Amino acid sequence: MGALRLPCLTSIFAVSSASLFPRCRNNHLNVRKLSSTAKVEVAPVQEQAITPHSQDFNAWYLDVISMAELADYGPVRGTMVIRPYGYAIWEAIQDYLNIKFKETGHSNMYFPQFIPYSFIEKEASHVEGFSPELALVTVGGGKELEEKLVVRPTSETIVNHMFTQWIQSYRDLPLMINQWANVTRWEMRTKPFIRTLEFLWQEGHTAHATSEEAEREAMQMIDVYTKFAYEQAAIPVIPGRKSRVETFAGADRTYTIEAMMGDRKALQAGTSHNLGQNFSRAFGTQFADENGQRQHVWQTSWAISTRFVGGIIMTHGDDAGLMLPPRLASIQVVIVPIWKKANEKDEVLDAALSVKDVLHTAGIKVKLDDSDQRTPGWKFNFWEMKGVPLRIEIGPHDVSSRSVVISRRDIPGKPGKVFGISMEDPVLVPYVKEKLNEIQSSLLDKAIAFRDSNIVDVSSYDELKEVISQAKWARGPWVGSDEDELKVKEETGATIRCFPFDQPQGPKTCLMTGSPAEEVAIFAKSY
Amino acid sequence: MAGAKGDKPAKADKAAKVAAAVAKSSKGRKKETGLGLTNTKDGNFGEWYSEVVTNGEMIEYYEISGCYILRPWTMAIWDVMQNFFDPEIKKMNIKTCYFPLFVSNNVLQKEKDHIEGFAPEVAWVTRSGDSDLEVPIAIRPTSETVMYPYYSKWIRGHRDLPLKLNQWCNVVRWEFSNPTPFIRSREFLWQEGHTAFATKEEADTEVLQILELYRRLYEEYLAVPVVKGQKSELEKFAGGLYTTSVEAFIPNTGRGVQGATSHCLGQNFAKMFEINFEDEKGEKAMVWQNSWAYSTRTIGVMVMVHGDDKGLVLPPKVSSVQVIVVHVPYKDADVKEIINACSETVKTLCDAGIRAEADLRENYSPGWKYSHWEMKGVPLRIEIGPKDLASNQVRAVRRDKGTKVDIPMAGLVDSVNGMLDDIQKNMFEVAKQKRDACIQVTKTWDEFVEALGQKKLILAPWCNEEEVEKEVKAKTKGEIGAAKTLCSPFEQPELPEGTLCFASGKPAKKWTYWGRSY
Repeated sequence: MGALRLPCLTSIFAVSSASLFPRCRNNHLNVRKLSSTAKVEVAPVQEQAITPHSQDFNAWYLDVISMAELADYGPVRGTMVIRPYGYAIWEAIQDYLNIKFKETGHSNMYFPQFIPYSFIEKEASHVEGFSPELALVTVGGGKELEEKLVVRPTSETIVNHMFTQWIQSYRDLPLMINQWANVTRWEMRTKPFIRTLEFLWQEGHTAHATSEEAEREAMQMIDVYTKFAYEQAAIPVIPGRKSRVETFAGADRTYTIEAMMGDRKALQAGTSHNLGQNFSRAFGTQFADENGQRQHVWQTSWAISTRFVGGIIMTHGDDAGLMLPPRLASIQVVIVPIWKKANEKDEVLDAALSVKDVLHTAGIKVKLDDSDQRTPGWKFNFWEMKGVPLRIEIGPHDVSSRSVVISRRDIPGKPGKVFGISMEDPVLVPYVKEKLNEIQSSLLDKAIAFRDSNIVDVSSYDELKEVISQAKWARGPWVGSDEDELKVKEETGATIRCFPFDQPQGPKTCLMTGSPAEEVAIFAKSY
Repeated sequence: MAGAKGDKPAKADKAAKVAAAVAKSSKGRKKETGLGLTNTKDGNFGEWYSEVVTNGEMIEYYEISGCYILRPWTMAIWDVMQNFFDPEIKKMNIKTCYFPLFVSNNVLQKEKDHIEGFAPEVAWVTRSGDSDLEVPIAIRPTSETVMYPYYSKWIRGHRDLPLKLNQWCNVVRWEFSNPTPFIRSREFLWQEGHTAFATKEEADTEVLQILELYRRLYEEYLAVPVVKGQKSELEKFAGGLYTTSVEAFIPNTGRGVQGATSHCLGQNFAKMFEINFEDEKGEKAMVWQNSWAYSTRTIGVMVMVHGDDKGLVLPPKVSSVQVIVVHVPYKDADVKEIINACSETVKTLCDAGIRAEADLRENYSPGWKYSHWEMKGVPLRIEIGPKDLASNQVRAVRRDKGTKVDIPMAGLVDSVNGMLDDIQKNMFEVAKQKRDACIQVTKTWDEFVEALGQKKLILAPWCNEEEVEKEVKAKTKGEIGAAKTLCSPFEQPELPEGTLCFASGKPAKKWTYWGRSY
């Protein structure tokens, strides 16, 4: 659990009041700037280096988040402020998924944030799973409330309460809805994006007439997530089924996509639950089938949250900072004009502006950094740290040759730099688009290679322990009991991430019990 | 379900009870016992409204009084508005962000006037899991106090300005006055923009730019006429410098409704939260701030203005279904052929970017479907029967006027687009005529009282003194609420010299709209 510590920030996170704020010049954001006397005019970036990835992954992560201006700590312990550059990633995720959800027949709606405590209690394992994390409102408008209200940790209970009223007959099925909302889980150990008291997510909820239909829906949605992760976020997640121990409180089966972070820890990046009839029985959600028989509906729920933003940071980032996959980057191309003499400035800026217009017109998200307070070198570092996929440099020579210099964020230094690309529309636009595509697939390839080189097949518990101690993922046949699984967790810190859909052929023997096994499981330490 | 209803807090308010009744009656409807509202808009507006929003499947009442479920029919409208507004403010280089829901008490307390306005309405988290929190944590009623400590931190020099952020989120105001879906609910969705500038001029300019977007949202999208103007000192945002708003009017109840607000906060918050910057000369200065918001209330205003005794009437621009296609089978007719024609029609319309759907359910009669989609306010209905098929045409029925025309299949898209445009325009014109007919200019107290009794939107010359507004409020306080200023319109009629205030008899400073309000 070492990685859940927040080395230099623990104390900040523990403070629950706003005493942080009185002109917090020397607060956590600037801890590395101790020697610097820089003040007002100096941006916090650059003066402080990002902790190297390899040296302290957690410190690196927190540095990237603050220096790339993705997020800041909230005024209440364990909450966060998502800054525009970080929020833009979430918006890109939303834009993609919202369309996919509608294409697959789901409508958006919005349920209240407050849930009567009695609702939560209705499904036994659900209340057991969530009760330690519930935030309760007991006072409103200066009065003690008659019933304490839960700030939603997830919405299955309120959704079922309403489904019970909306569903009468088989004709009302399937009922498929989604909401974009904030949810609250009063966690003790928090980490920006990965685990915060309040986070943003989408939660899909569906009701079906048959078990098969519900299962198909749960699988369909985990497929949507998998596709999103691969194609948009360039994260090669492993889709699979959760073990009983790790199954959602109240679900029959939980499907998950598991991603390997840069420190080789696993991140559960999205889940889709087949809820069976657990909630419909608890809430009496029934329909009359074609023969007029009353039956309980079969349900699913599925979610992706702002945690995924943390996953993107930890998958692609490097020592220089953030690295964004082009399809989710709010700035895909940054243009840095370079001039030395005052008389060069105008023509360089003119050219930079026209390049910007050309790219913008072509639908490429482009930013021109024309501020004159910073040197080009400073800007290079800054935009690299911000993870912008492509940089275009334009200097006086380039203007006279009507060409530009283009550098890739994912290939550092000279090898990633190409000179003399024409700045004319018919050449530049296809070139930039092609490069962005190349970067997108190259990020995915790199992540796949990293993932595959860090998953080791094991056939015994000793091997598993060894692999886990090397901070890798262990994959081995498993039919162990829940107790066996908990033992692994206690002794190694690893949990079953999933039984991957993609299973090797051939006979298998459980690594723990030696009994014949049907499936392999993946074990890893996780966030 | 009966059991679930029993879970409702004992002190459930009247509206919720009505809703429960409505929910039951709407259940009956589904079994083809006939559609329709039991209340009329003129007869009992409050009950009519509850019925329309529930039967129109926009809202579902909920166990917690003042909290409502926003159903897809509502969220689609909200999405359309967001899809207009969000790109517009992004063009203004305003960025989206997200600040936490939770506010600690001492941050909340920082701006005194501000918190006096909101403190009575705050909901508090006091427990987590099984244990009491050391210090209760508030749920945001608005985010000034959550956001501004960060503005203080992020803003250093003039180059950090302007800082322009917006967030889409939910807020909670635990009010005890009569909750009304959309119009006054304990939790609602909104956007809140918060911006900081180096100069007052920039802030002033932005206040009006945003207000213009709000006007467009109401007039161009929701087809609701609004008045742009400035709020009185008494009605302005607590802690701000001045407040501008767009004001709508509900003729049936004679109430004004504040549609959306754009505030200039001046430097008051900057002072409290120490939001300073070094200007170009290296001198320390305080920023000028604005905040502005519109909420799901917009949708309630739209329902109140356009709805009729058959249910919702939705403006085409925001309706999630613009055209509903219904097949009209006759005995001996080839049903399959008609159904195909319907599907073809929907496809043709959808391909042209029109939001069209077919209702081909076999277990409901065409008549039932007509009523159903009228209840839901779909702007245009297309009926296709054997005769239409034979003559290669369809019948189109407008929701706003009820008029029917036959339109040839050839040129269908153009005809439908034309009709949708015309419906949008007509809805606005009709609403404007109705509103304008309610405007009453009054110059004396007696005229004022009479006009108020007649549910008018009163335009009166006023001395612009806070005490006078308080007096008017006190003197008109009755069962249906006191009259107050709605706004002083930016478009001021001529105010001849020597005009006196209708209430105080002092020299009038400007024309101001007065009325009861939501």
